[in-house]
Amino acid sequence: MTARAQAAPRTVAAQRGGSPLEAIAVHAAFVAAILFFLAPFFWLFTAAFDADAAAYIRLPSRFTFDNFVRIFAELGFANALRNSLLVATATMVLNVVAVSLAGYSLSRMRLRAKSAILYGVLLLQTMPLSATMVPIYGLARTLGLRNSYLGLILIHAAIELPFLVWLMKGFFDSVPRHLEEAAWLDGRSKLRALWEVVVPVARPGIGVVAGLSFLTAWAEVLMVIILIDKQDMKTVPLAFYETFRTQGGYTEVQYGLVAAMGVLYLIPVMTIFFATRRLMVRGLISSSRGL
Amino acid sequence: MLARDRAYVAGVLPAAAMLSLFFIGPALWAMYTSLTNLALVGLDAANPRFVGLDNYIRLFGDPDFRVVIRNSVVFVIGSAVIGQFALGLGLALLIDHAERRGWKLGAVAYAAVLLAWVNPTLIAGFLWVAMFDFFFGSLNMALKALGAGPVDWLGSFPMLAVIVANIWRGTAFTMIIFIGALRTIPSDIYEAARVDGANAWRRFWDHTLPNLRPIAALTLLSITMSTFGAFILVQTLTNGGPGIATETIALYAFHTAFQSYSIGYGSAIAAVMLGLNLAFAVVYLRWSRARA
Repeated sequence: MTARAQAAPRTVAAQRGGSPLEAIAVHAAFVAAILFFLAPFFWLFTAAFDADAAAYIRLPSRFTFDNFVRIFAELGFANALRNSLLVATATMVLNVVAVSLAGYSLSRMRLRAKSAILYGVLLLQTMPLSATMVPIYGLARTLGLRNSYLGLILIHAAIELPFLVWLMKGFFDSVPRHLEEAAWLDGRSKLRALWEVVVPVARPGIGVVAGLSFLTAWAEVLMVIILIDKQDMKTVPLAFYETFRTQGGYTEVQYGLVAAMGVLYLIPVMTIFFATRRLMVRGLISSSRGL
Repeated sequence: MLARDRAYVAGVLPAAAMLSLFFIGPALWAMYTSLTNLALVGLDAANPRFVGLDNYIRLFGDPDFRVVIRNSVVFVIGSAVIGQFALGLGLALLIDHAERRGWKLGAVAYAAVLLAWVNPTLIAGFLWVAMFDFFFGSLNMALKALGAGPVDWLGSFPMLAVIVANIWRGTAFTMIIFIGALRTIPSDIYEAARVDGANAWRRFWDHTLPNLRPIAALTLLSITMSTFGAFILVQTLTNGGPGIATETIALYAFHTAFQSYSIGYGSAIAAVMLGLNLAFAVVYLRWSRARA
């Protein structure tokens, strides 16, 4: 809720230069940091295309697409992809609707308890999933939400919901009220005025809601592990988790297969994230929760 | 209440229902279930009995729980309070400095740190399982090239290993926040100090650090909370082992409920976790309000 980076005017040009020693030290530090943070990814992308992938970083012994072919042919990855796309898209749509309605209503509502409600919403955001997973499992079992896409969609939508509502309320606060009041005078209903007049103005906020909701549902694995145990219902994270448990590290080592799955699991995240980097960084920072 | 406000209440309802179902409901369920002996299978699964505070009494006499708490504290202090915070602050200062100097490599480092943060936790776990692999992992292959013997990272230094992996994963958060904070410090403060003859160290000590202090407290609390709840990364790397050497409180709740089948006892652990987290969160919100 903090990194409001108002870039202060700065005189960059005036500060160029510095001693060569300083330049060398700073660049050496950057190279070390880049090595530390990128090396694991370098391994992932080389192992995925290696006909005989090993656990260590090297260029592929023989370049191949075989690993990708095999995860589709032998491990039913197409099914997992389809399930994941379905769940993530539905989560995104549900959240855009629920969050817009709630954020707008909270923004326009005049209620004495409003600040207490917003405070409570922020408190909810800090609850760790790892603390609620046992109760969520119990509740889902009681309500029949296990092995159900509805259950998965609802819970994935809920994960970032408190933060997203709070974020959208802020966006709607900055949309002037006379916009929707003019639309009401034209005879439009409240809902239509919201959809046709207010939401388009708050488009950047809606973009963050859609992007973060999709990514959360795409990447999250804890809830999938406790909610889904039917083979044909598994999503990409669960497929990756199971392949990793059976093919990588622990038993028979087939790093190439796991890495290939990892690449396909990672690429949508990287694409969406880096395409909308500024907005998403601000969003994720404020939610103070990774994927 | 005006008619228009009734429409707004209706607008809040869908979100409120979801929050009740997956946040408030589970918290209440954990509190209630922690007072029973509900089990995952067997007789106590069908007919759980009310056992009062038995689970909590058992928990505070449980020698494993003491180890688990100590593990959680070491993990949080090692990877968040020291690791992510120091590395994040250092990188932020360097990247901000490089920006002011017009050096480009800072932007690459920024993207690399960011990538480690946005990739799914499960992938992060898998990548580090490979890095730490005893026979062919990149770390041991690098040691071998240097003529040093292989190290059983996950066996001999399991806590260090999960701490390193979590530093790798979470440093971006601190870094981004501090870069944002550094940008709000106007350059003319430094210009004035420079004119006064203050050296780089004095300028950092007198002007940069005081400007970062309030945000630093919030950042520390925030990464403490998120590290405290970390689960998937530790589970994929060590699953709490060897023995219970890296079993943190989140893993203990999971293992108690799903491997020992004691949902009631597991709920008591979850309730303790929620209580601790609530305490942190209240402090956090109070501090961030004081700033706003």
